[in-house]
Order: sequence, then structure tokens, then C-alpha cells
Amino acid sequence: MRTKFQKFKESYFLYSFKRDKVAIFSFVVLTIFLLLALTAPWVAPMDPYDAVNIDIMNSEIPPVWMEEGSREFLLGTDNQGRDMLSTMLYGLRTSIVIGLGAVALQGIIGVIVGLFAGYIGGKTDAVLMRLADIQFSFPYLMVAILMSAIFQVAFGLGSFERLAVPLLIVIIGLSNWPMFARTIRASVIGEKNKEYVEAAKVIGLPTWTIIFRHILPNSLTSVMVISTIQVANAVMSEAALSFLGLGMPVTKPSLGSLIRAGQEFFFSGSWWITVFPGIWLVVFVLVINLLGDWLRDVLNPKLYKG
Amino acid sequence: MKKALILSLVFLMLFAFGATAGAKTLKVGLDADPVTLDPQVQLSGGMLQLSHWVFDPLVRWTQEMTFEPRLATKWKRLDDLTIRFYLRKGVKFHSGNPFSAKDVKWSFERMRKSADFKGLLEPFEGCFIVDDYTVDIKTKKPYPLVLNMATYFFAMDSEFYTGTDKNGQPKDMLLKVGESFALNNASGTGPFIVTKREHNVVLEMKRNKNYWDTQSRGNVTKFILTPIKENATRVAALLSGDVDFIVPVPPQDFNRIEKDKNLKLVLINGGRIITFQMNQKRRPELGNKKVRQAIVHAVNNAGIVKKIMKNKATLAAQQGPKGYQGYKESLKPRYDLRKAKALMKEAGYANGFEITMMAPNNRYVNDAKIAEATAQMLGKIGIKVNLKTMPKAQYWNEFDARAADMMMIGWHSDTEDSGNFSEFLMMCFNKETGYGQYNSGYCNPKVDELVIAAQSETDLAKRANILQEIEQILYDDAAFVPFHWQNHAYGAKKNLMIKPILNSMNFPYFGDLVVK
Amino acid sequence: MIVFIIRRVIQAIFVMLIISLVGFSIKDQIGDPVRDLVGERVTPAERAEIAEQMGLNDPFLTQYFRFVKNAVTKGDLGRSFLYNKPNLEVILGKAPATIELVFGTALIIIFVSLPLGVYCALRPKSILSRFTMSFSTLGVSMPVFLTAILLIFLFAIHWQILPSYGRGETVDLFGLGWWETGMLTIDGLLHLILPCVSLSTLMLPLFIRLVRSEMMEVLETEYIKFAWAKGLSPTRVWMVHAFKNTLLPVITVFGVQIGIMFAFTLLTELVFQWPGMGFMFLEAVHRADLSLLIAYLVVVATIFTAVNTVVDILYGFINPTIRIAGTK
Repeated sequence: MRTKFQKFKESYFLYSFKRDKVAIFSFVVLTIFLLLALTAPWVAPMDPYDAVNIDIMNSEIPPVWMEEGSREFLLGTDNQGRDMLSTMLYGLRTSIVIGLGAVALQGIIGVIVGLFAGYIGGKTDAVLMRLADIQFSFPYLMVAILMSAIFQVAFGLGSFERLAVPLLIVIIGLSNWPMFARTIRASVIGEKNKEYVEAAKVIGLPTWTIIFRHILPNSLTSVMVISTIQVANAVMSEAALSFLGLGMPVTKPSLGSLIRAGQEFFFSGSWWITVFPGIWLVVFVLVINLLGDWLRDVLNPKLYKG
Repeated sequence: MKKALILSLVFLMLFAFGATAGAKTLKVGLDADPVTLDPQVQLSGGMLQLSHWVFDPLVRWTQEMTFEPRLATKWKRLDDLTIRFYLRKGVKFHSGNPFSAKDVKWSFERMRKSADFKGLLEPFEGCFIVDDYTVDIKTKKPYPLVLNMATYFFAMDSEFYTGTDKNGQPKDMLLKVGESFALNNASGTGPFIVTKREHNVVLEMKRNKNYWDTQSRGNVTKFILTPIKENATRVAALLSGDVDFIVPVPPQDFNRIEKDKNLKLVLINGGRIITFQMNQKRRPELGNKKVRQAIVHAVNNAGIVKKIMKNKATLAAQQGPKGYQGYKESLKPRYDLRKAKALMKEAGYANGFEITMMAPNNRYVNDAKIAEATAQMLGKIGIKVNLKTMPKAQYWNEFDARAADMMMIGWHSDTEDSGNFSEFLMMCFNKETGYGQYNSGYCNPKVDELVIAAQSETDLAKRANILQEIEQILYDDAAFVPFHWQNHAYGAKKNLMIKPILNSMNFPYFGDLVVK
Repeated sequence: MIVFIIRRVIQAIFVMLIISLVGFSIKDQIGDPVRDLVGERVTPAERAEIAEQMGLNDPFLTQYFRFVKNAVTKGDLGRSFLYNKPNLEVILGKAPATIELVFGTALIIIFVSLPLGVYCALRPKSILSRFTMSFSTLGVSMPVFLTAILLIFLFAIHWQILPSYGRGETVDLFGLGWWETGMLTIDGLLHLILPCVSLSTLMLPLFIRLVRSEMMEVLETEYIKFAWAKGLSPTRVWMVHAFKNTLLPVITVFGVQIGIMFAFTLLTELVFQWPGMGFMFLEAVHRADLSLLIAYLVVVATIFTAVNTVVDILYGFINPTIRIAGTK
């Protein structure tokens, strides 16, 4: 009996991974990003959310290699005197939390809706898919803006700072679930007439057991592929919302709000407030996208179009 | 067929391109364009600016804060209640109608009906025609500010606005929302005639060839105003040469504009105080004088002036700026973090507490950034701040509801007098009298008493004493957190002689602008 | 078929009712339009009077039903406080700017993605192809607003060769006063370049990849092999036989993506201060012009539902194997 690890070692998955330099590179970078985000409170030179560390007199200090740079702030400071490096590390952490949270949420909603719609069919399917269609026909960015406006109002403006992260997860999650639902539904419809499902029906297993124990595992590859791409999308959505001023509050900046805040200073010469978080965000999204592409090629070549 | 189409397209392009070539076109980028063409619908900086371009007042402010004759050539006080204005002869409106006393009276009467101006005109009895070119302006009680008010009296073309429009409504109807003739058409005596207006996109004007002021050396023939809301974009437009003049210039770009060899930066003292108010009704902690003092001591407003305002604002410790009667030299800014911490301890809040704070993000210069910095500064003495910044359209609503423990408010005295600050910001809020309309939570009967006393005090020395006493009490009480007095910052191309046309009211008189 | 269309229309009406209801229910919180109309010195009493005149003090359901009634009976979607014009007029007035922005972007996408995609399919190993492919992944990962900021910095501020904001000189198309175009003046065209380029970076990578993979797939088909066997010249095989067959799926995806592009004009329009519908939407959010906001959502919902319905019907015609839900 081979162990799971051995199985994995001999798999096609690992084989193609090892042969793809881009995938290896992306994976390494992504791991570093995740580690940095996870250990931000220990790695970062200071806690940018703690007022004690912020002094307005330190504002707009350029990165260390420039003439007026300071050793204390490797990548310079923003317009409030926050250390850019620390703020970016914490911002990345926020982006990752929101990205993963939002995808988990849309995944859960999407998978459940997709499974039921696909398996049960008929009226349930029609109603659920119509719902997905309606929302899908609206660009998700607009749905997100609308929702964030409504939520900000519903929860009161004062407490928004505390609730910002969970709210953004809900907003981005809710505005993007139809993608999952559609894919899962399609794969369920493909699976449900296969023999093993018929067999399960014959021995009288309850519907939900069939759905979750038998059909779901067979649809998981597509869930995985979509999830990767959707994490990248969610991070971008958060950045866009923050850029529009509907995302993270100024006192807890995410990468998007940093770029937004830096935009004014970019044209006036303090380019680092925009450029560093910009590069940070792009590289992060880029490696996720590269990994997603690779995953799609390996796991599910048919999904390629689209 | 195809060729013909292409040819005609090319011609169309050439034509459009050729048509733009003209002499002395002025392109201005402002943060917002005037909301309407009717000068009496809204009392706001933007509308008054427009009024100075398209209309003329009886008198106007100069850079030195004196009065300059415009449609009134001279004036004379007849008695305690009456001032007689002698009007300029031979002036024509844009429509061609001649200007006379009836237009002044008509405009005055119409202004009285406007919700925005009603309050300002409260002290007036009325406008009385003596002859075609003479009017008497009467007040109900002796009133020292008649000339100040005459800067608001813009003459509208009474004949032009009389009658009914295509919807059967009177042309002079005062309306905020809806269709009215006056909202979309203007005929004044001013240096510019409106040629095209698309709200929030563009306002185009051409020079009034028959302008009465032949002394004016202004030579702008075409005037295009574009609203550019985003600070960065507005500056970018100036830097790239898309516009010739911008206001306001955000402080972070002062340096860049000053260094640019084609551009110049002009700063004019504005006198608008920026403050945070502390709501003692919402929070008992803020009712404690020591806590308020701690907050004032914790706020490094000098740092904010230096860093956020780039040293181009005047550091403040009281409401009225230097030169005002109430200004007290001895009141100094008092940033001292150690003392702030000690005060918090004395007050019994060594561990701090949590408060909410709100500020607008598009009303004052760098308002949201100041608020953010303040929140951080208060964090250092243990006061955790939940800050929310929002556009002014939402902010005023929240302010009316006194929705946060600390709220930002900026104020510029309309009468250029110290009393005005306290009347609106520091007197106990009173719905009936309207006092304290922008006071969120400070109330001291002694201050109220003194402000009222100052209103009717005619002895200037005594009055100054009272006003200074008020400032002292507010200072000792730490009634509000003072930051600085804002300046107006203008950026323009070097060939625009903008210095002479600017003033502390922020009404650039583009009619007199010389372009070299 | 008729049943299908009726269903869709009912569905659309339902969506619009919900959207406008949600809109009206939050309108008090989003801000007070009266504050934006009057000066700061106006007393609360005066403001209350104006609000009363404007009908803002009625219970929200009353306002809502008034809105629905006017919309149904007169096609009147209310009046914008900000622009002081009927909402529909404001929205239609802003539409040309956005449509031209999307049109310009579409042109860029077509003229760049087709040749590049085809080239990458024909010469997958060449340096240019590899470069294009890696660059396109980078493009997908760049937020539109960041691209826009960088473009402004480089082209408008640093080199000063392109304008930084707005539409520039526009002329009235057809002389009818309802379509101001920036596409017929040199100034207007110059103003279009940066916004269109930044918006196109969003979709360009997707299309290059799509064209490439479609083309590669087509090249593998029997049909092309047959064409080779006939001894046709490579140009003829590629351009006439293969390319034509690549186009159909590309066009389909294009139709879908244009809708998404409309949403992203929001970000581009904000950075470039482009006076289109997206900018108007944000302005309405900021200035508490809820009336305009609701009208805008209703219009957008109408457009999207209409487009989707038409696309579905066309699909039904093109591909009879697709059964339209509801015709069962």
C-alpha cells in the first residue's frame, strides 16, 4: 500500500509542476507573499495601525537610497508618516484575508446553488439559474459598489472601520457567486447521469448524500481552478473598491487605498506612495494568475476557453 | 462614395480644428463649476465668482479690503438709516437693454425672496428709486455694514427677466430644482457673456465687447471654465498645459508648480479657520476641561501646517486671524505631548477611551488628511478614534445630526469680523435664533453674553476688548481644537498677470486679467 | 418565443422595481440633496421648507410609488438635483462620452488582438509570441486605475505629449444636439487615446489568448488539413480558411465582454475625469443625487436585460440545439 505522499510524488500533477519553471517561480513567490502576510506583525518594522508609531513629521520621506531617505524607513513613508514597507505588509495581509474570505463565501454559495440546481433540475434549476443570470448580467463591479453603499448605510458610518473587512468579504463574495454556480451546475449535469450516481440512487441513498459525497468530489477540480482565478479577481475588486473610496478606511489602508492616497502625491513627485504598493499588488496578482493558468492547463484543459 | 465620406470627415476635422484657433483664450480649471446661471439662487463662493464675471455689483472688494465703485460711481450717507448710491450712466446689459435704477431695485426685491439671501438682507428696509440713476438703500436700524452688503448687490436685467418662458412660468422665478428661464439664461452688465453651458462639464463665455469699464486692461476674449474635481487631475491639467489657471492648488503640489519654469503659484491670505469641535453632550469625557485641554495639547497643528499644508497656511490658536478686532497676540499654539498625557492622567483617563470622529473629504484643503493625522495624534494619548470621512453632501447631514464625538468645521467670517465666528460656531445652539448653527456641543452662557454685547457695542476699543475676552475664554476652556487659517492657492501660466485680480474673498476678477 | 420574451420583460420589470425600492429605502441615509443646493449659511428652517417643496419629506413609500407611477405613465424617471434636468436627459446626454470611450477601446482591442493573436498561433515559439503571452498575463494583473495613473504620469506630465483629462473639443454630430462627439476633432481624438489605451489593457490579454487558442484549434481541424492537401498557399489557408473560422467565437465573447467593459469605464472615467455615465454615477453617489442614481440603475438594468435577451434569442436562431428556458 503506497502512502498518499508517494502517490502525490508520482502523480502527473507534480511531474508537470516540476517541468514548468514559471509555475515553480510563481509558487515560490506566492509562498513568500503568504508567509510575509502571515508573519507581518513580526516581520514589519512597525505596526502601521498603531498611532504611537506614526508621526506626521515623518511624512513623505523618500526610500532609503534617495537623497533625503532615512535608514528608519526602507521604502519611505506615506503622506501621514507611516512606514511604507510595514503598511504594504499589513495591506497585503488585508488583501489576502479579503480575497480568500470572499472566494470562500462565493464558493460556498456558488457550489450549493450549483449542486442543487444541477442535480434537482426543473423549477429549482430555472429559478436559481435565472437569479444567477440576472446578477451575472450586471457587471459585478457595479453590484459591489451598490452593495457597499447600502451596507455602509445599514451599519452606520461610525462603525464601518471595525466592520470593513467582513463587510468587504460579504460584498465581494455576494457580487461574484454566479461564476461558481454556473460551472458547478454544468459539471453536475455532466456527472448526474453517470452510472455511479444511478447506482447510488438504486441503493436508496438520500439525495444530499449523493450530492455531497459523490457528485461534489468529482466537480472539485473545476472549483479549484476557478477559485485561484477568483482570488486574484477578489483582490483586484477590493483594490478597485478601495480606490473608489468604498473599501478599506484610511486608517487601515489596503493596497488599493494606498494607491488611491498616493495618486495625488505621485504627480507631485512622491512617486513611492503609489508605485510600491502598485508593484506589490501587481506581482501578487500576477503570480496567482500564472499559477491559475498552469493549474487550468494541467487539471482541466477543456476549461481553457473563456 | 467611401472617398466622399472620408473627404467630408477630413474637412469636418479641419473645420473644427480651425475654429478653435483664436486670440487670448483663457482656460480655467476649478474644483466645481457654478451650479446655475441665476446669481440669486445660491449663496456660495462659486456663484459669487460667476456673478463677478457675468454681472456687476454696486461696489466690490479690492485686494486691500476697501470698496471699489462698480455700477455705483459714488455713495453718500444721508442719515443713520439711509445711504444714497449714484449709478453709472451709459451701461448696457448683454441683451442690449440699458441699465438704470429700476434694475437695481428689481434685483434687490428679487434677492429678498431668495432663501439663501433672505437672512443677509434682514437688516434692510428696502431700495427706493430717487431718479433713473440714483437709489436710496434704507435699513431698519442703524447698520454699519451696508457697503459690505452692497458687494452682494448684482444688477440683473429686469426687462430681460420679465415675462413668461415657453412653459408659461415667469422668467424671473426663483427655483432650486426644476426648469426656469433664469437658471439657464443670464443677462448682466459684466465683462463676459455666457455662450455655452453644460453643467459639470463646461462653461464657455466670450468677452462683452460693449463692456462699460473701458479702463480695465483685461484682454481675455474667450473664457472656458472646466470643473476638474480631482486635485491630482487638476494639477496634471495645468502641468500639461491643458488649462491656464487652476484653483485650488493642493499643498502637495506647491513645490512642483513653483519650480516649473512656465508656471507660477500665488497665495492669498484667506482667513478661514479650520477646527475640530468636541461634543460634550455626546461624551461626558469631553465635558471634562482637562480632557479637552489634553486633546488640544496632543494635536501637533504646527506639524500639520508644516507637512500637510506644506507651510502654506497660518498656524492658529484662536478663531479670528490677525488683523481682526478679536485677535489676541498672547494666545499661542500649545502642542506638548507630555503635558497632554499628564492632563489625561489628571482627568482620570490615563488609559484613554474610544471616540468617533467625522470630517468631510472634499470641503476644505486636505480636510481628510488633517482628520487622519489628528486621529493618529489622539491615539498617542490613548484616545482611540474611529474616523469616517465623507463627501460634503453627506457630511453636512451628519453634522446637523451631530453624529460624531468630534466633527470638523471650517469657517470664514462673511462680515470679515471676529463676532461672526462665535455666532455660528461657539454660541449655544439655539434653533429659534439660529445662533450656534454650526456648534456641535460647546455651550458657555458667558460667551453667549459677550458675543451679544459685542453686536451692539459701537465703541471700537471696548468692542475689541470684548471680542478678545471671548477668544481668551475659548482658549482657556479648550472649546475647540484650532488648526490653521487656510490660504487660497492659485496656479497659473507665467504669462497670466493674475496677482492684481485676486483677493482674499477668492473672487478672481477675470474681466481685468491681462494675458501677455 | 413570445412567452420567452414576455417572461424576460416581466423579469426585468421585477428587477427594476426591486432596485428602485432599495434605492428609495436608503435615500435618506446617503445624504441630503438640499444641503448641496443651498449655501452653508442657510438656516435649517429654510432648508426644511425647500425639502418640503421638493417632496423629500414624504414617506419613502409615497415617494417610491410616485416615482413608479411617473415612470410607467410618462416614462419620466424623475429629476436630477445635481444637474437640474430630467434624469433621462442627463443620462442620455452622458451616454455618448462613455460609448465613444468603449468604442475606441473596442477598436484598439480588435486591431491589436487579431493580428497578435493570429501571429502567436502561427509562430508560437517566436520571441514576439512569448513576449506577447507573458505580457498579456501581466496586463490581466494590472488594475485599470494603476495603468491609467501611470499613463497620465508618463504621457501627460512627464513628456507632455497627450492631454491628461476630459474629452477636449467636441462637435455636434448630425447637428441634432443629442450627440456631442469627440471623434471628429483632432483634439477630441487626442483626448481619447490615453483613456482608451488604459481601458483596453483590461481586455486585450484575454482576447489575444482567445484568438490564439481558437486559431490553434482551427489549424488542427481536418478542414484545414484538407486545404493544405489541396496545395493552397499558406496565406490563403491562414487568412481565408482558418481566420474566418476563428472569428465567430471571438465575436461571441466580445459581445459579452463589452458589458463588463462598460462597468470598468467607471474607474477610467474617474481617473481621466471623463464626462461619461460612470463619472456621472460616482458624482451622483458623492453628491447624494439619489434620484439620478436610481434612474441610472433602472436604465442600466434595461440595457443589460435587453442585450441579454437579444443575445439569447440570437443564440436560439444560430444554434437550434439550445433550448431557451421557458419554451418547454
